[in-house]
Amino acid sequence: VDSSQLDTINVKTSDNITLGYSVAGLGSRLVAQILDNLLAVPLTLIAVLLYGAVASVFVTSSEGAGFADAGAGFFAGFVYFGYFFVSEEVTGGKTPGKSAMGLRVIKVDGSAADFAALAVRNVIRIVDVGVVLIGIVVMFFQPQTRRLGDLGAGTIVVRDRAMVTLAAAVAPPPIILRTPDAGPAIDGIDRIGSFERDALRVFLSRPGLSPKLRADLARDIAKRLFERLALPPGAPERLWPPELFIERIYLQLEQRYP
Amino acid sequence: MSLDTFIAERQARWAALEAAIKSAKRGRLRNQSASDIERFGLLLRQTSSDLGIARRDHPDAPIAEYLNTLCARAHPLLYRGRAWRIGAVGPFFATALPRSFRAAWPYIVASFGLLVIGFIAGWVAVDLRPDLRASLVPPSLFDEMARGQIGTGVQDAPFAAAFIIQNNIRVALICFAGGMLLGIPTALVLLTNGWMLGTVAAAVRLGGYDYQFWSLIVPHGVLELSVIVISGGTGLMLGDAILRPGQLRRAESLARVAVRAVLLALGAASLLIIAGTLEAFVSPSALPDGVKLAIGGLVGILLYSWLLLAGRAPRRRRTFQLDGAAETPA
Repeated sequence: VDSSQLDTINVKTSDNITLGYSVAGLGSRLVAQILDNLLAVPLTLIAVLLYGAVASVFVTSSEGAGFADAGAGFFAGFVYFGYFFVSEEVTGGKTPGKSAMGLRVIKVDGSAADFAALAVRNVIRIVDVGVVLIGIVVMFFQPQTRRLGDLGAGTIVVRDRAMVTLAAAVAPPPIILRTPDAGPAIDGIDRIGSFERDALRVFLSRPGLSPKLRADLARDIAKRLFERLALPPGAPERLWPPELFIERIYLQLEQRYP
Repeated sequence: MSLDTFIAERQARWAALEAAIKSAKRGRLRNQSASDIERFGLLLRQTSSDLGIARRDHPDAPIAEYLNTLCARAHPLLYRGRAWRIGAVGPFFATALPRSFRAAWPYIVASFGLLVIGFIAGWVAVDLRPDLRASLVPPSLFDEMARGQIGTGVQDAPFAAAFIIQNNIRVALICFAGGMLLGIPTALVLLTNGWMLGTVAAAVRLGGYDYQFWSLIVPHGVLELSVIVISGGTGLMLGDAILRPGQLRRAESLARVAVRAVLLALGAASLLIIAGTLEAFVSPSALPDGVKLAIGGLVGILLYSWLLLAGRAPRRRRTFQLDGAAETPA
């Protein structure tokens, strides 16, 4: 298994393409959790204070005050757990903390987390948080950093940010030093496939190579290309400087297969 | 095709898909017109086909990674379960909830069994050692009943109702969530509730107040205990899915039942609003005991005829032809 694939889940789409989702790590999830608590805890306190204010207006007896006080604790729980459920439901799987960390809840089949799945993962949050923070222990050992609520709901928290921008994905242009033209046609150029062509492109677009190193690399690559093209021992191309040879092959490929 | 041409030719539609992802509000395409959504689908299919080409022809180029991330972000916007709508509430209570109640019957029977075991154990404990009943039953309840004070109404009943509703919903959700710990907390909640009811019932019987006692419990208790039994059943469903996953992986088996179970638990918990209102306003009221018992009975009949009968497919009627061949209308 490729180690870079370990924190990825693969989803096969209906177009028969496998998409890789990058799974959020324990660290970013805990930071998101702390950020959410910075919002949820004050929100809960304000709600309980409001509840107390309303209760003190309407309560008329000590018995009623007892009920109101006992109710405040449960009310706090509903507001606290409700914060997570409502914010995930309204935003399509991102609490404010997750949003700040670039995380998002989706289902393991790659579809968006729906009402029922979010209900499951947030009701089970009572166990994850309430039983000695068992959720953190489970996330630590679970290979995809899912807590009990995620396992129950079939959800997973993934990174939702674009890691590579289009500008970064576009390779830098090739540096052609030796030749303004493609030179005479090279025999057997059809044998060069797109993998070799990409390799030549990478070689030609590498900036900052020392001239000696570039020449050494070019000689090595040219030797392999001679075999690939099956050039006869006396072919004139074998006498060209290796860097010129590579540049000409590259330019001819560009002309033939734009 | 060269990497440069590939990118140059197709990057316009990738940029268009990226812009469409950004324009999605709150993780949804809901605010967009039908033609926009259709175009989104087209762009996503084209881009994922580009991803396939990039993976085949340029596997080491960063463009494959870029296209994967782009498709991965777009995919959940288009592919999603049914959205929650206010209009879905009616059909949910009319058909879906009773159906999932009936489908979950083995777990609900097991959950009821645990409650009954707790009840019998509590009853027997008080019967064997009546001298210990004072420590088993809250003495205040006993004294009040002896003085005939109970049943004179609760002051600030709305607050009592809110408290009772919240508390019971909490118990119901813990019963469900406890399923994640193999259902052990669920079983404990059921046994404890049965035990408490059993000890109190046996104690009031010794004191000779049972009629008064049951008139205090039954109006809301039928509904409340039913909900505890149902949510206990959902917790046992989860526990069973973890313990006996069958051919599936444990996480898959769990996820398969959990969505059905949570809807059943939440639907049942919503009934606690009725139960809590009855508990605060009817049970302790000055109504004659017989009326209170009748209310409890009526609630029970309504509840179980709804849970057992609603949402059934209409029974196919057989008509018999004269030649004896059975025929079922389409």
